[in-house]
Amino acid sequence: MKSSVKESLMDEDKKGEKTSEEERDIIIDYENIDVADIMDQIKKKIAARPKKEPELPPVESNYVPYSVPPPEIPPESSGGRTKIKALLLKIMKPFSPLIRLLVLPVSHELAETVKTLDLTNKKLDYLTEKLHHDLFQLNESLNKRIEVIDKAANKRIDLAFDDIGRIKEYTKLLHSLSHNVVVEMTKLKIEEENLKIRSRILEKDFEFLGQREKALEDRVLK
Amino acid sequence: MKVAFVVQRYGLEISGGAELHCRWVTEHMKKYWDVQVLTTRAFDYITWKDHYPKGDDIVNGVPVKRFSVTKPRNPERFGRLQNHILANEHRLEDELKWLDEEGPLSPSLIRYIQEHKGDFDYFIFFSYRYYHSYWGINTVPEKSILVPTAEKDPIVHLRIFKELFRKPQAFVYNSVEEREMINRVSKNEHILGKVVGVGTEVPSKVFVEEFRKKYDIGRDYLIYLGRIDENKGCVELFDFFLRFKEEADSDIKLVLVGSTLLKIPSHPDIRYLGFLSEEDKFSALAGSLALVMPSFYESLSMVTLEAWAQRKPVLANARCDVLKGQCLRSNAGLFYKGQDEFTESLKVLLSSPKLRDAMGKNGERYFNANYTWEVIENKYLSIVDQLEKRKK
Repeated sequence: MKSSVKESLMDEDKKGEKTSEEERDIIIDYENIDVADIMDQIKKKIAARPKKEPELPPVESNYVPYSVPPPEIPPESSGGRTKIKALLLKIMKPFSPLIRLLVLPVSHELAETVKTLDLTNKKLDYLTEKLHHDLFQLNESLNKRIEVIDKAANKRIDLAFDDIGRIKEYTKLLHSLSHNVVVEMTKLKIEEENLKIRSRILEKDFEFLGQREKALEDRVLK
Repeated sequence: MKVAFVVQRYGLEISGGAELHCRWVTEHMKKYWDVQVLTTRAFDYITWKDHYPKGDDIVNGVPVKRFSVTKPRNPERFGRLQNHILANEHRLEDELKWLDEEGPLSPSLIRYIQEHKGDFDYFIFFSYRYYHSYWGINTVPEKSILVPTAEKDPIVHLRIFKELFRKPQAFVYNSVEEREMINRVSKNEHILGKVVGVGTEVPSKVFVEEFRKKYDIGRDYLIYLGRIDENKGCVELFDFFLRFKEEADSDIKLVLVGSTLLKIPSHPDIRYLGFLSEEDKFSALAGSLALVMPSFYESLSMVTLEAWAQRKPVLANARCDVLKGQCLRSNAGLFYKGQDEFTESLKVLLSSPKLRDAMGKNGERYFNANYTWEVIENKYLSIVDQLEKRKK
């Protein structure tokens, strides 16, 4: 029987109530509320919470501890290649004059091409220089404009901060004003209550005196 | 039967705890006994300066006799003396001097008790810590009943009170915790003592929707009723509530009702409504999700009883033994000691309407069983009855 009415706050959650994760372990017998038991559960829950540890400063991702050794570089295995290269050069040495003759630029067309290429290179150098100059000038003017905009923006931010400060002070003043108004209203209300009570007392006194007067009159007349 | 109620101040304008308690009890007991109130002319509880006219008065049909205060209290001197006796070794005379300083110093009241003790069957003294109770009980111990209204306060350990608590014929306690504390201090278990408290009247009709409209307040709010003061735990409440708001995803608001001695934090979720009429106060309470009671020291929290009478659960400060004890006995409120417990308890309360409803019902049951005027009147009658039987 008892188990049917014993519910955890989780059940309430199911019924549409807003319950956080933390409350779910409090079990309550709604038909027989036991405050001592609820308080024990609350205390146990608080005690079971992990104690907050002081936060350490964040460690950067590229941080490498000093104790980690540097990565090992694999040894080169090119000893055989150099030996073969040296052997081939030794064999070809007697044929070297013939090879040089075959390689020399003897054609006129080739000489013209080289000249054109030289001219093109010079033009390219000039254009590159001009581009650099233009870019530099553009950069200069952009920097100047950014500086002007930055100054204007800073000025506006300063003004906005001034406004916020003023609004903050104004809000504080309003709060203190409303606080004082409520206090004054309270005093007036108390005063009003006191005056009401006093008038009630006076009315009663008046009534009492009236009765007394009548009684005295009766006696005097008798 | 003629019974005198002796209290430090008395009047319709006085809303202090023990004084209001005395007035309500007197007004309810006048149908059974021939009652007479003996009090001072004081209105201000800091200086006890004479305010009311001397002599006889009638307040709500109850005859009242007022006596002059010969020397108003000097708060600064009193504070110094109290700090001295609490922090240092001292003699019994120092404690008596402290009592004179605390006041309300009215020897004519004590003289009246001495001279007219034969005219009364019983003297019911309210508030153990004042001049009138100490010297009054010492004058007529054989006819004294004490309603101590004691809080967990270091003053209770003074030697003069240890002796005083052994002198009356009976005690009317406000709570089980108060009785335990006084028994512990003075070992007076042999004296007749009952946990009675005080009743409260709750209006049969409340106007929740009208209240919401009038003050533009939504449905989900916690309410605090009473003086907004550091001594009442309000600073801690603000702190805990704002941290709860940061931590929990909740739309709950905190509504404060009463006069304030504090600067209330400027926050959209804290609403201060000031002093409200009784009708608005009960409507505000009825419309809330729960009452929060952050006070560290309470002899009996009437507001908590009013909340239970209206089926509202309570979230109380566990450092106040009385509030914690009442929550446990009634099963109608959760309590907290520190931020974590505040947050968790509030989360549990807010997340379950079913729990709030069940606790509210428990509260109403507890109130009906212990704090309706019928129950309170019967308890007073039974105490006097027992004393009468003892005489025979």
